[in-house]
Amino acid sequence: KQNLVYLHIDMDAFKLMKELRVNYDQEVHYLPKVTGLVFIESTVRISAKCRDAKVEDLWSLTSFFGYSTQTFVLAVNLLDRFLAMMRIQPKHLSCVSLSCLHMAAKVTEEECNLTPTDELIRIGQCRFTVSDLARMEKIVTEKLNFKSKAVTALTFLHLYHEIALSKETLSLEKLEAQLKACLCRIAFSKAKPSVLALALLRQEIEALQWEDMLEVAYYIQAHLKIANVELMLWSERVAQCLSDYASPECSKPNHRRLQWIVSRRTAQNLHSYRSVPELPTIPEGCWDESESEDSCEDMMSSGEESLSSSLGSDAEGSFFPPHLRRQKQRQYLFA
Amino acid sequence: MSAISASEKVDGFTRKSMRKAQKQRKSQGSSQYRTHSVPVELSPLPQLKDAPSTEQQELFTQKLQQCCMLFDFLDSVTDLKSKEIKRATLNELVDYVSTNRGVLVESAYPEITNMISTNIFRILPPSENPDFDPEEDEPTLEAAWPHMQLVYEFLLRFLENPDFQPSIAKRHIDQKFVLQLLELFDSEDPRERDFLKTILHRIYGKFLGLRAFIRKQINNIFLRFIYETEHFNGVAELLEILGSIINGFALPLKVEHKQFLMKVLIPLHTAKGLALFHAQLAYCVVQFLEKDPTLTEPVIRGLLKFWPKTCSQKEVMFLGEIEEILDVIEPTQFKKIQEPLFKQISKCVTNPHFQVAERALYFWNNEYILSLIEENIDKILPIMFGSLYRISKEHWNPTIVALVYNVLKTLMEMNCTLFDELTSSYKADRQREKKKEQEREELWKNLEELKLSNKPLVQNNSHGLPSVQNNNNNNNSNNSENQDRSPAAVTANDQDPDVTVAASESTPCAK
Repeated sequence: KQNLVYLHIDMDAFKLMKELRVNYDQEVHYLPKVTGLVFIESTVRISAKCRDAKVEDLWSLTSFFGYSTQTFVLAVNLLDRFLAMMRIQPKHLSCVSLSCLHMAAKVTEEECNLTPTDELIRIGQCRFTVSDLARMEKIVTEKLNFKSKAVTALTFLHLYHEIALSKETLSLEKLEAQLKACLCRIAFSKAKPSVLALALLRQEIEALQWEDMLEVAYYIQAHLKIANVELMLWSERVAQCLSDYASPECSKPNHRRLQWIVSRRTAQNLHSYRSVPELPTIPEGCWDESESEDSCEDMMSSGEESLSSSLGSDAEGSFFPPHLRRQKQRQYLFA
Repeated sequence: MSAISASEKVDGFTRKSMRKAQKQRKSQGSSQYRTHSVPVELSPLPQLKDAPSTEQQELFTQKLQQCCMLFDFLDSVTDLKSKEIKRATLNELVDYVSTNRGVLVESAYPEITNMISTNIFRILPPSENPDFDPEEDEPTLEAAWPHMQLVYEFLLRFLENPDFQPSIAKRHIDQKFVLQLLELFDSEDPRERDFLKTILHRIYGKFLGLRAFIRKQINNIFLRFIYETEHFNGVAELLEILGSIINGFALPLKVEHKQFLMKVLIPLHTAKGLALFHAQLAYCVVQFLEKDPTLTEPVIRGLLKFWPKTCSQKEVMFLGEIEEILDVIEPTQFKKIQEPLFKQISKCVTNPHFQVAERALYFWNNEYILSLIEENIDKILPIMFGSLYRISKEHWNPTIVALVYNVLKTLMEMNCTLFDELTSSYKADRQREKKKEQEREELWKNLEELKLSNKPLVQNNSHGLPSVQNNNNNNNSNNSENQDRSPAAVTANDQDPDVTVAASESTPCAK
C-alpha cells in the first residue's frame, strides 16, 4: 500500500529521500563479511558468546565515559568487520575491541571529551599497554581501509526518524537503546543496516499502535526496494531480541569477570570482624529457673511475656539457608 | 624531654614514632603501697605437696592468709624476699587448686574469697595521663602485676574447679563482690581486663541468681559511659561477655533484652572511642538480629539516625557493620529498610574521603547483597544511579572511579531497560541544568553590560540619604540604576530625584 497522498512531499522530504538513497548505496561497503560472521558463530575459539560479551563491555564503557551511541555503533561495526576478516586469538579480543572503541571515539567525539587510552585500559581492566593499543589501532585501520564516516544502522535510524517526524515524533533515544540491545548479539551484524533500522522502526510503530505511521515504513521500504521477506525475517528476530531486553527478569550479572581493587587500608579492615569470639556461649535459663532469686527485679521487664517458652519463635524457619548467607571468602586485591 | 627538630616533624606535628621513642619507660601505677617503717617479713611455710593429707587443709588456709599481705611494687628495693615468698606461695596455690580434687571444702570458701578480695579489690589509681588516648598512648600498667596475675589466675582456677559449688560460694561471691569486680574493668592494664573478662564470664555462667544483677550493672556502666563520662576502659571486654550471653538467649526474646539493644547498644555507637570496641559491639548487634530478625528495621533505623556526620573513621566502621548485618538479613526485612539505607549508601559513595567511598562501593562485591539488590532493583537503582554517575566523572580518586565502573556495570547487567531509562532521564536533567546555567550566565552578562554602558550617567549618592534598593538584588552595591531603564518606578524621595529604583526583573536574579 503506497498511499502517497497522505505524505507531504516537500523539499525537505525530498532531500531526505535522496540522502537515504545515497546511504543505501554506500552501506554495502561497510558490511562485515557474512562468511566471517558465520564462522565466528560456529566456532569455539572466538565464539559468538565472546564477541557478544565484549560488545556489552564496550557498551558499558561507552555509557561510563559519556560517549554517544554513534561511537558505540561505529565501534561495533569496526569490530565485526575486523573479526569477520581476521582470525585472532581470544587473548587479543580485548585489545581489538578497545582499539575499535577508541578509533570510533576519535571520529565521533569532541577532542576534549576523549578519554585517554591509559584510563580506558585501566577502567576496562585490561592487561595490555598503551603502546599495544596504539599498534592494534594501526593494524585495524590498515585492514579495514578505515574511512571515518561509516554508514551504520544508526545512520538509517536517524534518517527514518527524521522522515517520520513529518507525521509523529518517535522517541529517538528509545530506538537507539533498542538498536544497542540488538547490536549486542552478533546475529544482527548479518543484517543490512538499512533493513535492521527499518525493522526497529516498524517494531516501535507496531508497539505504539500508530496505524498511520506504518505508511511511512512502507514508503521507505518501497523507496529503497527492500524485499518483504528480508524485512519480515529481521523484524521477527528484532521482536524476539527486544522482548528479552524488556523483560523484567534480572539476569544474574557475570560477577567473576570484574576485579575489585581497593586500597590497602580498606582491605586490611575488611576482615576485622571475622574473628570467632573466644568466650563460649552461656545459654539463657528457661522460665522455670528463677534467674532473679537473689537479685532485684529486672529493671526493664514489663511482664508482658507469656509463660510458654518454646525455643524458636519463628515457626517459618529461615529464608535463606546459612551457607548462602555467610560469605566465606571475599575476593579482593591490593591496590 | 629533648627538643624535636623540625625535620622530625611532619606538617608541624611530631611523628608518632618520635613521640613513642620518648616514652621509653613503661609507665606503671598502683594503689598498693604501705608506709610501714618496719618491714614485715613473711616466714616461708612448708610445701603443700609435702604436707600429710590431714594437715593440708590447715596449711592451705595459712597460706591463703599469708597472701593477704600486700606489698609495694613501686618501691623496687624493699621486701624483696617476702615478695618472692608470696609469689611462690601464690604459684603453689594456683597449682594446688588446679590439680587436686577435694580441696574445696566449705570452710575454704571464705578464706579464698577473702584473699582474693584483699588483693584485687582496690580503688584504681588515677590515670597518670589525663589525656590518655587508648589508640595512641601506652597504657599505664599495674605495678603489682607479678602478684596480681597469680591471684587472678587463682580465682579463675577456683571457679573452674570441678568441685566448685555455686550454692556455697554464693554466700561470698555476692552482689557486693560482683560490683567491685565490675569496677575493676576500668583498669588501664589490658592484662587485668582480660582476666576479669574471663572471670566474670564464668561467674555469670555459674551463678544464676546473679545474672539479672550483672546485666543491670553492665547497663548502668554503659549508660553512664554514653551519657555522662565518656570514659571507661572496659567496654570491649564487657561487650565480649555480652556477646556470649546474647548468643545464648532463649526465644522469644525477652522485652528486657530488646530494650537493652535499642536503649544501650545502639546509642553506644555514638561514643567517641568507638574504634576500641566496635568489633565486639557489631558482633552483639548481629547476634541479636540472628536471634530475632524482626529487630532488623529498628536497628538499621537506629544506626541511620546516629550515622556519623563528621568522623570518617567511624563512617567506615558503620559501613562494615551494615555489611555484616546485610550478610544475615532476611529478604522481607531488607525490603523494609532498603530505601532509607540505600539513600545513606548513596551519600557514602559520593563522600570525598576515599576510604568511605571505597567501603560503600565494595558492598557490590558481596554476592548475597547483590542478590538482594537484584530482587529489588527497581527501587534501589533509581536511588543509586545519580550519585554513581556523578562521581564517575567527578571523584578525585582513580581507585574509586574504577570501582564505580564495576558497580555501574553490575547494575546495568541486572536490568538493562531500567538502566537505560535512568541514563536518558539523567542526561535530560543534565541538559536542562546546563541550559539553565547558561541562561543565568547570559543574564548576569547582560546586567554587567548594562552597568558598564551606563557608567557615566551614574550619580554619586554620597548624601547619606538612603537609596531604595531593588527588591531582588540583595548583593547590589550602592549604585543607582540608570534612569533610562524602563519602566522605572520613581522613589518618593523628593530630595534626590536622580535616584530611581529599577523595575523588578521579570526573572529573579537569585543565585
